Amino acid sequence: MILRRNPINPLGLRKQLPQVIEICPVEQLKPGEMRLVEWEDLEIGVFNCAGTVYAIEDRCSHDNGTLVEGELDQDSCTIECPRHGSRFDLKTGNPLTLPAYVPVDTFDVIIEDDKIKLEVE
Amino acid sequence: MAIPETQVPETPVLTENEELGLINADYTERYGFHDAENYLYKAPKGLSRELVEKISEFKSEPQWMREFRLKALDHFLARPQPTWGSPLLAEVDYDNIHYFVRASERAERSWDDVPDDVKKTFDRLGIPEAERKFLSGVGAQYESEVVYHQVHEDLEKQGVIFMDMDSGLREHEDLVRKYFATVIPPNDNKLAALNSAVWSGGSFVYVPEGVHVEMPLQAYFRINTENMGQFERTLIIAEPGSYVHYVEGCTAPTYSSNSLHSAVVELIAQPGARIRYTTVQNWSTNVYNLVTKRAVAYADATVEWVDCNLGSKLTMKYPSIYLLGERAHGEVLSIAFAGKGQHQDAGAKIIHAAPNTTSNIFAKSISKDGGRGSYRGLLEVAKGAHGAKSKVVCDALLLDERSRSDTYPTIRIGEDDVDVGHEATVSKVGDDQLFYLMSHGIPEEEASKLIVNGFIEPITKELPMEYAVEMNRLIELQMEGSIG
Repeated sequence: MILRRNPINPLGLRKQLPQVIEICPVEQLKPGEMRLVEWEDLEIGVFNCAGTVYAIEDRCSHDNGTLVEGELDQDSCTIECPRHGSRFDLKTGNPLTLPAYVPVDTFDVIIEDDKIKLEVE
Repeated sequence: MAIPETQVPETPVLTENEELGLINADYTERYGFHDAENYLYKAPKGLSRELVEKISEFKSEPQWMREFRLKALDHFLARPQPTWGSPLLAEVDYDNIHYFVRASERAERSWDDVPDDVKKTFDRLGIPEAERKFLSGVGAQYESEVVYHQVHEDLEKQGVIFMDMDSGLREHEDLVRKYFATVIPPNDNKLAALNSAVWSGGSFVYVPEGVHVEMPLQAYFRINTENMGQFERTLIIAEPGSYVHYVEGCTAPTYSSNSLHSAVVELIAQPGARIRYTTVQNWSTNVYNLVTKRAVAYADATVEWVDCNLGSKLTMKYPSIYLLGERAHGEVLSIAFAGKGQHQDAGAKIIHAAPNTTSNIFAKSISKDGGRGSYRGLLEVAKGAHGAKSKVVCDALLLDERSRSDTYPTIRIGEDDVDVGHEATVSKVGDDQLFYLMSHGIPEEEASKLIVNGFIEPITKELPMEYAVEMNRLIELQMEGSIG
């Protein structure tokens, strides 16, 4: 299931860089689960890969398809684009298979007070 | 086991004059014959999960490959049939295809061990003779599987691997698992998904660092059964500084109903390596040839596709090269010949993804008797690929008023400092050209052949001599009766 959330900007400020945004309590994103987070003009995929949370730009660099609707492989820590099958490394954002060849952005994940937070710019 | 009778006479020894006569015979006589079917297994028509599992079981594959196939089948079933390319694509009936036919127990290393009827076919096509004369290794695929495979001993000693893909998976599972489907994932497109689900045969080539394979490796693909689907899978890995030239040819019997050939070919040229991949596609005109071919070239590597399409009812094939490392070079030379009832939708894709990469695409098509030749290409220069240089030239030759030529070039440039050129021409064999040659005493039909040969010469000169000769013979064959 993909939860769409309204952009979170806890400080109510715009364009203060970098910024930490709160996503959800840790228990709401279990291993193997992923969700889409929208913040300003960014769409970010947040993934729990075998207990470690990663966040990458939710956009396949091949043809801009969404990644969070793809298949998460917890063993290799990759997400497969559902449109043409490119696999992205969640740790680095690098495509591991064609047709995508440009890396996607990654975001630092902070676990604080049992909450998942992202550092965004 | 009794030797089954083939439906064709044995190949007689011919004098040179008789051989020349044979060149001008039609396709049915030369390549379009078929053997009696004496198979170990022939799947009923149609595609199912059970069949995919059975293919995997037949080949005693590891669990990950079985899962890969089944996932690919889901992708195939979920994707709609493409609507671009050619109206003929809508006619492909996936339920009317035999997806797996096994003709032999295993890939033999001696022609003597190949079943007699199959061997006779390859003898007739001249494959064992070619192997003796000028090849480093040969693979021969009959229906779904490779029946013969051999590579020169000295290459084996240098660590070169050239075997059928099924054996490659069995004997070099780690290498295969590392690279398989990394260039063309199963979900890349509907036909790649189909191939990934039911793939069988094809070649696995591995060239170690610094090794140059001087003479070509060749694979020959033969379809015999009516309504057959052939889905070979080829993976070539050239380690840094190595070189290999791989050549493939293919033919099939002429039937009134259709067959399907859908291959996936992946090439990986590591830094400084060079891979040349030559195809002489001469399927009979009842074969849909829907193939995905893609290569990656890392820093200072070169990949060349030499792609000759003469046969098939419909070919949709756009060999592509991703230039991922600095100074990588890609080259696509393509000839398509579209005769009566044929549509050759061929082309090339080159993606410049690194600085100072270079590429050339030379595509030529000839259309006659109402045939249709299309060039469909993509040239992409990614942001950051500064200093990229590319030249695209596509020329079409129309031999009569009824034939058709289309060009669909796409160019995307994401960088300022690049040098990209695109030229396209369409011409017809003009009366003035014919008149000029005929005024020198050359008969009209001969004059027309000369003009066509001159047109394709820049590409045939890139073929190994034996193939260039064959190519010219095939063009002559296609040109028979085109005047008057």
